[in-house]
Amino acid sequence: MSSSEKEIFGKKPIQILEKIRENLERLNEKIEIMIELQKHGRREIEPLSSEAPLDVMTLLSMPDHLRKTAMTICRLGRATAEEVAKQTRRARAVESAYLNQLVVMGYLKKERKGRKAYFYVDREGQG
Amino acid sequence: MGKILAIHSYKGGTGKTLISINLAVSLAKLGRKVCLMDLDFRAPSLSTLLNVNGVDYWLNDYLNGVCEIDKVLLDLSDRINVHGAFLVGLANPSIEAIRDMSSKDRKWEMRALGRLLSLRNSVLGERGFDYIIFDTSPGLQYSSINAIVTADLVIVATTQDNSDVEGTKRMLRDLYDLFEKKTELVLNKVMYGEALTSGQEKLQAMIKDVYGIPLLGVIPCFCDISRAEGKIIFVHEKPDHPFTRILGDIAAKVDKLQV
Repeated sequence: MSSSEKEIFGKKPIQILEKIRENLERLNEKIEIMIELQKHGRREIEPLSSEAPLDVMTLLSMPDHLRKTAMTICRLGRATAEEVAKQTRRARAVESAYLNQLVVMGYLKKERKGRKAYFYVDREGQG
Repeated sequence: MGKILAIHSYKGGTGKTLISINLAVSLAKLGRKVCLMDLDFRAPSLSTLLNVNGVDYWLNDYLNGVCEIDKVLLDLSDRINVHGAFLVGLANPSIEAIRDMSSKDRKWEMRALGRLLSLRNSVLGERGFDYIIFDTSPGLQYSSINAIVTADLVIVATTQDNSDVEGTKRMLRDLYDLFEKKTELVLNKVMYGEALTSGQEKLQAMIKDVYGIPLLGVIPCFCDISRAEGKIIFVHEKPDHPFTRILGDIAAKVDKLQV
């Protein structure tokens, strides 16, 4: 038995299932991003620089679908994809994809707390 | 929770500051707790118009992260003797401060937006204000767009001047619409005859046709206002003037609006 197999068998089945669910959720998020990338083309979501400030001029120049999501995060301060979806009345999976795009572009930061992922604008950390 | 209003216009001289001060006081007369903030950092005017001296902290300091908003707000309720409250936050009119504010970079503007957005919790939430009114710079300036993004309702002051009409139309389409902001229009400096009841219907139709948004109010061109040289709070000192009645109507409409 290899060491990694030993590690798995050492845990309770419920913990293993939790881990599998967590991994599936992350995988799902990644797939959502890939779908969105294909839908809108790579060009428009290329990061402008490694640290891109989400100021109002940037908001103005964003494609409409992303602006709506970014504006909602501005208003809420810190929120999950579900909380954003409640405001924009779009599907949670769609918001999750847009939020992750904004993270890739450098405009938002993402933080995991347990099973939830929170998105926010990092206003203090930049510069 | 209360509402945040931004008073904006395409061109200067459309009466933003006149409307801001008198709308704030009219709302305070309705018993509301109102906080008026001068976000026109390029040409601050509220400190002069309201004749406030010895200011320790300005809105500039709040946006720079030097102090919290309590230090900036000045209570002028005693001056106007109202049921509600009338507080102001002022922009620093010194040339040095104006120069400093016009040389800020994008990251500073992003943080300033964060500070403005947090006023909703600190001023409307914790301190229980009913209104924050932002008096802004004309056109597309960072400080005005920050104010627009923060606001629940944008009140656009416009005149019948052609360049203003075209610019206002563009702003409606390319700015307020993009941010999905509820927008209302105040038509200012209208020839007196047209502003009377019979002419108002025609104006309403014209506004709907040109701008496609509702008309919140029509203010005729009053010589008394020019003559006052901004030295008085009109709705307070001239309670029987038609201007006071019009601003009272606008305040009542704003108070009823769902945003």
